[in-house]
Amino acid sequence: MTGPMITFTFDGKTYQAQEGDTLAAALLRSGIGLVGRSFKYHRPRGIMTAGVEEPNALVTVGEGGRTEPNTRATDVFVYEGLVATSQNRWPSLSFDIGAMLGLAAPIFSAGFYYKTFFGSAKRWMFYEYFIRKAAGLGNAPVEADPDRFSHRSAFCDVLVVGAGPAGLQAALDAAESGKRVILAEQDNILGPSLIRDPQDLDSAWIETAAARIRAKGGRILLRTTASGYWEHDLVTLSQRLCEPGQKPAKGIAQRLWHVRASEVILATGSIERPLAFAHNDRPGVMLSQAVRTYVQRYGVVPGKRVVIATNNDDAYRTAHALKAAGADIVAILDARPSPTGANGGFPVFNQALPVSVKGARHCLKQVSADVGGVTKVWQADLLAVSGGFTPTVHLHMQAGGTLEWDDAAQAFVPAMSRQNVTTIGGAVRPDPIFPVKPISNPKKSFVDFQNDVTLADVDLAWAEGYRSVEHLKRYTTLGMATDQGKLSNMAALGRLAEKQGVAIPGAGLTTFRPPYTPVTMGLLAGAGAKDAGAHVRRLALYDVHAAKRPIWQPLGYWFRPRAYPVGGETLAQTALREAKAVRTGVGMTDVSTLAKFEISGPDSAALLEIICATSVSKLAVGRGRYTFMLREDGFVFDDGTVWRLAENRYLLTGSTGGADRMAAHISYVRQYLCPHLRVSAVNVQEHYAGIAVAGPKAKSVMAALMGEEPPRHMSTVPAKIGGADVLILAASYSGERAFEIYADAAHAAAVWAACEAEVTAQGGCLYGLEAMEFLRIEKGHLVVGGEIDGRMTPHDLALGKMLNKAGGYIGASGLSRPALSAPNRRQLIGLEAISGTIAEGAMLITEHGGAPLGHVTAAAFRVIEGGSIALGQLEGGFDRTGEELIATSPTRGQTARVRVVAPHFYDAAGERYRD
Amino acid sequence: MMPQGNVIVTDVTITLLPAAPLYALEIWSHAHDVAKRFETALGFALPVMGRSAGSDDLCLIRFEPTVWLVEGDVGALPPILGEDGALTTIGGGIVRVRLSGPRWRALLMESGVFDAESPSFASGCSAATIIDHVGVRLHVVSDDVCDAYVPRSLSAGLVHFWEAAAGSLAA
Repeated sequence: MTGPMITFTFDGKTYQAQEGDTLAAALLRSGIGLVGRSFKYHRPRGIMTAGVEEPNALVTVGEGGRTEPNTRATDVFVYEGLVATSQNRWPSLSFDIGAMLGLAAPIFSAGFYYKTFFGSAKRWMFYEYFIRKAAGLGNAPVEADPDRFSHRSAFCDVLVVGAGPAGLQAALDAAESGKRVILAEQDNILGPSLIRDPQDLDSAWIETAAARIRAKGGRILLRTTASGYWEHDLVTLSQRLCEPGQKPAKGIAQRLWHVRASEVILATGSIERPLAFAHNDRPGVMLSQAVRTYVQRYGVVPGKRVVIATNNDDAYRTAHALKAAGADIVAILDARPSPTGANGGFPVFNQALPVSVKGARHCLKQVSADVGGVTKVWQADLLAVSGGFTPTVHLHMQAGGTLEWDDAAQAFVPAMSRQNVTTIGGAVRPDPIFPVKPISNPKKSFVDFQNDVTLADVDLAWAEGYRSVEHLKRYTTLGMATDQGKLSNMAALGRLAEKQGVAIPGAGLTTFRPPYTPVTMGLLAGAGAKDAGAHVRRLALYDVHAAKRPIWQPLGYWFRPRAYPVGGETLAQTALREAKAVRTGVGMTDVSTLAKFEISGPDSAALLEIICATSVSKLAVGRGRYTFMLREDGFVFDDGTVWRLAENRYLLTGSTGGADRMAAHISYVRQYLCPHLRVSAVNVQEHYAGIAVAGPKAKSVMAALMGEEPPRHMSTVPAKIGGADVLILAASYSGERAFEIYADAAHAAAVWAACEAEVTAQGGCLYGLEAMEFLRIEKGHLVVGGEIDGRMTPHDLALGKMLNKAGGYIGASGLSRPALSAPNRRQLIGLEAISGTIAEGAMLITEHGGAPLGHVTAAAFRVIEGGSIALGQLEGGFDRTGEELIATSPTRGQTARVRVVAPHFYDAAGERYRD
Repeated sequence: MMPQGNVIVTDVTITLLPAAPLYALEIWSHAHDVAKRFETALGFALPVMGRSAGSDDLCLIRFEPTVWLVEGDVGALPPILGEDGALTTIGGGIVRVRLSGPRWRALLMESGVFDAESPSFASGCSAATIIDHVGVRLHVVSDDVCDAYVPRSLSAGLVHFWEAAAGSLAA
């Protein structure tokens, strides 16, 4: 191969790669065979495969926030400046102190943790420190990932996974029959297996096929792995837009595709299996097809004196490829009892199995084999092994498909499909093999390379009673590393079956779960990786508030001004100042987030009297009332006001936090319970921006703004303020005479400006949520999520007298259950401090150590007089007025002695509302 | 802060349209009679589900079985509806965002769940869907233009998302 050379570093040393090299190919090209250290025993490990199944050559790639640990060197293509570092070694890869653990391998057998780390929790805390220090391979980066991730959906008639010859042909056929096609290939080229084994198709055919697919509108995605197969033929594809550790050209590092396909074709091929023999994990032991790939695709010859061990015909291709590349094939160890055909002039030994190897740092030195019962030894630097082929059936099984046993191939192949998925190509027809049983020392014969599981571990698990493959897997950790057992599962199943004395299908099968290959967490988060994952909801008047630099408060997805500090005021000082302004003069605040629904039509009142637990139909036009809504079980789930705007038109308001829930509830009632009603119920929460003006001077402010007498309490009129049409509702949450002004959100800024000018002119100020909380607690008004917490009935909240006596509302039946009006239920009460300050959330107890009788739902201070007050829920609270209790909050470290009082600390008669 | 001005990238242009009166038109009874009255009075039929219809002055887009989004002069509608339906003003809560250029379909696939790339989603089609967790109504104005009706409170976040996504569509 010729082409531009690229510079990269491995463990700080600079090397050259050919353009198109994987890191593994480039390292082999540079004579580097030792790439990493194993997980448990720190054994030297090299490059075993040429694909995503690689268990050994795991490295850390990239720097800073782009660091990506545990990257398979076989699955990263070298780019200029790539920085790769070996893992799990100290002080260096070639001299690793941790390798001494290998000497203690006999005590690190399967179940070591379970047998060793037990005892008291305190002892576990001691063990944990060392376990955590020793665990894992690469280290996660400590800096934030600077790159972005994308989620994109796609729909197609046919999704083809795998762009080998079968996949390419299937995609081409589908595209040329007029179907929308997506072809996904995890490699960075199409038809990689055709480069390894050209057959009668060549690169020109690949290019032509791809061009024809694209010409028909087909989408071809390279570096794209089908990571999961979900319900309804939804397949997720993880696409690399740049290599691990590389700075993306367009900001996006990876894209997660959600592909909904009418039909899925899996052309995922198969993965070659290793053979189990002593020290089969050493650098210099490679899979046969991988060796062929390095020779044919990358022009890299991994060894000069090569032994090939096989139980099938495919490995002979490797022999030919190596010979053509100039390597010396010193022996072919063929497990089959007799020659199967032309030996190609190679020294072939039948009934031959490798039993052990010895190695140098980067390659092998010697291969020992059992040939018909006789041990033979060869000097060789590479052993290419082929133990058969495991079809890649992961996606088929994730889709709910079943497998059947192919005895000739000694492999599970796809059988029945439960979704519209078909498997084609090599995954359906793996090459036949000759079954072999390991004959070497099981203590050094690895089956799971990534988790250092040997045949002896499988044997031990069996001896200790683990019969189910699922149990064995968890006890030994076999198949539980990031490679998900792609190379190990069949070997372990074979050993288990051997122990059980059954054929492999009788030993069972583990479950294939997504993702097929590791997926970066940021990719799952998508664009939301940089924030909370959801958009913040902005007030229509956001810019107006932001200019005043308020303290913001998240409220659900909303952000609302909590207070508007002046000078160096603290939150508490600001809130108290603002609340006092409302009590003594006038204040204004943004109430846009309240739920609002416009109900229109001749049956509006009928619908509302089903939704609301209070009567509605008797409201006169222009009047409103407080109302609340129940769940079907009779518990209060929201409250608000209802206003009759016209003969057949109402406005229903509700809480901010319950707005979405109310919208769903109203839709449910309208669509399912009352489709017969002549009514339209429209969510206008965002259409109207809301401004509340409250205080003794509120009426005067409104008169000035409206140019006429404002409506009396619980009345509504249309008006014009700041040049905009508005709806004015005379309602109070603060306990003062107050008005809510609703305007089209697109024009609300002008209304706010007019209101603020007049409020300021009359000596008032803005107030935020904190002051509003002080005011409403003092008045004894409820809040959803606090006093209305889903466990309170109207009776518990002293709202029973407001229930619609005619019934018929949702929750009426549930509420009729006697237990819901029992006298010992938790009931709404007020609390005033005798000593100390009452903490929100505090438990109410009679004595320290006693059982909680209730809790504080909201705490505040009297706005004018001072003094700690609160609202709460208390068992049998209505009958406990005057009783002294302890309000204690261990989490806040606050305790107060409190007296139970009525939940109205301010103007209980409501005289301040009235003119 | 609401996004200001237009964001133009190579493949798609994101434009905030000025605020406009918008209405929800719901028909609860005698739908066929209303449809006849409508066509007689206005010269075009009420659009079917997933489609729009209109004139220079009035456009109706059907997103729900019984509800149409109405844009334009609605003066003629109350007498047509009579006691069989109602109009509700909703324009304050919706920000209209125009996506134009050859890649608007690809942009809608970013964190979307609707097949905006389907050839059948053509001019005059509408859809109600979710994009990056935001409920959005789409109306295909022409081959190169799609209007999105976005909840006001989420419009700044979604436009920001689109601006970022538009820049890397070709990635």
